Amino acid sequence: MKRTILRRMLLACLLILAASALTFALVAAAPGNVAALIAERAAGPGADAHMIAKIGNELGLYDPLPIRYGRWLSGALAGDFGISLRTGKPISSEFAARIPMTAALLAGGGILAFIFSIALGIAGAVSNGGVMDRFLHAFSLIGASTPNFFVAALLVIVFSVMLGWVPTFGTSGFTSWLLPWVTIALFPASVLSRVVRVNLQEAMSRPFATTGFAKGFTRTQVLLREALPNIAIPFLTTFGAQFTLMIIGSIVVETVFALRGVGAFFIEAIRFRDFIGMQSVLLLFVVFFVMVNFIVDMICIVADPRMRRARGA
Amino acid sequence: MNISAIRDIKDWPWLVLLPVIGFVLIGIFAPAIMPYDPSAQDYSATLEGMSWNHWLGTDYLGRDVFSRIVGGARISLVAMVIVLVAALAIGVTIGSFAGYVGGRVELVLISIIDIALALPSLVIALALIGILGTGYWSMITALTLAWWANYARMSRAVVTAELQQPYIEAARVMGAGHLWIFVRHILPHVLALVVVYASADAGALVLAIATLSFLGLGVAPPTPEWGQMLVDGMSYIEEVPRLVVLPGLALTLVVVSFNLLGEAFALQKVPRPVRGATLRRRRKARAREEAERNAVETGTTSA
Repeated sequence: MKRTILRRMLLACLLILAASALTFALVAAAPGNVAALIAERAAGPGADAHMIAKIGNELGLYDPLPIRYGRWLSGALAGDFGISLRTGKPISSEFAARIPMTAALLAGGGILAFIFSIALGIAGAVSNGGVMDRFLHAFSLIGASTPNFFVAALLVIVFSVMLGWVPTFGTSGFTSWLLPWVTIALFPASVLSRVVRVNLQEAMSRPFATTGFAKGFTRTQVLLREALPNIAIPFLTTFGAQFTLMIIGSIVVETVFALRGVGAFFIEAIRFRDFIGMQSVLLLFVVFFVMVNFIVDMICIVADPRMRRARGA
Repeated sequence: MNISAIRDIKDWPWLVLLPVIGFVLIGIFAPAIMPYDPSAQDYSATLEGMSWNHWLGTDYLGRDVFSRIVGGARISLVAMVIVLVAALAIGVTIGSFAGYVGGRVELVLISIIDIALALPSLVIALALIGILGTGYWSMITALTLAWWANYARMSRAVVTAELQQPYIEAARVMGAGHLWIFVRHILPHVLALVVVYASADAGALVLAIATLSFLGLGVAPPTPEWGQMLVDGMSYIEEVPRLVVLPGLALTLVVVSFNLLGEAFALQKVPRPVRGATLRRRRKARAREEAERNAVETGTTSA
């Protein structure tokens, strides 16, 4: 098992390296010179070639690409992402303020999605073709089809404008987090509740379920005692995938609710063509994706002895 | 690979196809349906309610909301079709080439495809827009470059599988050239799978276009686009929630239609890529059959 984990770890590092190199190449290939952009911002449109060359030299923009990549990555690993072209401040200080915001958003949304998907999936399986099952099907279809910015807008209309229960925008206390959390959780919750339901159904047709019935347990008992632990692996894998997809949700939700998180920073960087800021956020995202996948893999290996054998070879 | 399932027209999920056809028709005939120019401003009639003159009222610039929603269908449809066709062309070409040529070329192409698939498509599209700048065509380009990899992976899988079939060898023995074998024998299989998948995937694309426009990185005003209409209406959310709800509803309806179509395809057992959701659906179908059999055999009341 130790060997498997080490191998996965190495693989994760390689993936981060490859994806970050691709990100770097992408931004390096961007039309328009970063030095020219900085010069333009410092001196207006009249920046001359001499000034551009000077700034380019200072930033080491004329060095070969691999050297620039190495410098950028080692800097980023040490927490130095460079200076934002938009704000003129170090990106690391932006991140220090914004990462907790996005983390809180993702954590709250993730917990909500987790609880609701399992609860709804079980309720659907218990009802087994009944009203609750139909409701679940409709919920998962509509929840997976409604754009999250529309969900946010509807929630604001109902709970802020009509009922006045929660503030519309910004962060002021616990209640202001509720709408963003629900918004970001709806899509993964709809997909995951379906996964729970379908996999429970599948588990119920396996021999151990039949054994459970033979022992005299009721359907619900077999569902909870025998089937539920067996859906852990497909559920966790999909949960990991959905959790990484929540990054997109966070970008939209932070924009709608005017939360100052990483996603909002990303959008601002894109609008203002702040290449250095974009690059840093992309690196952050890549690390996040790889980390989530790695953690899910680890949990699966720990949770399911079969995975240990299958991957340990 | 079973393509008869697609050719067998009576097995097609006609009913779930209807909303999608409706969307396409509205998009095509939008200019004839729209009672007003969707961008025409009328300051004597701003923020009007629903009436016979303006079925869904007017927005803060006096533009007819009904015309804008119908016009938005056309914008979404056109952008979606362009991206889908371009992404299909690129994906099928690269994927098929990788699968057919094999060897080191395949390894390199597959690595590129896998890295492209490691990040969510929309994040890739956002990054590309950051580099290309905002605007309609850079949105189209960015989405195309973010979407092709999935089709490439699928195409490659089909080509690799088909190459093992004896009839390919037979064709080769009969003296058929590479291009002939590919176009005549392999491409139909590739297209059968990829086009079906793409038609169900179109909803995700409509959603992506709306999301980018909502974020101010896609279709720019005054062109009527649902995501952009929605973000426009957000400033009036307290007084006139209709401006937010209507474009949102239109968008949701279209995405639901395409998702229903995708579900129907999955249940039809049309060959689809075996990944994530499809695998689960197939497992579900298998489980249901099995459960029915069990119910008959054991007398338990399940499914």
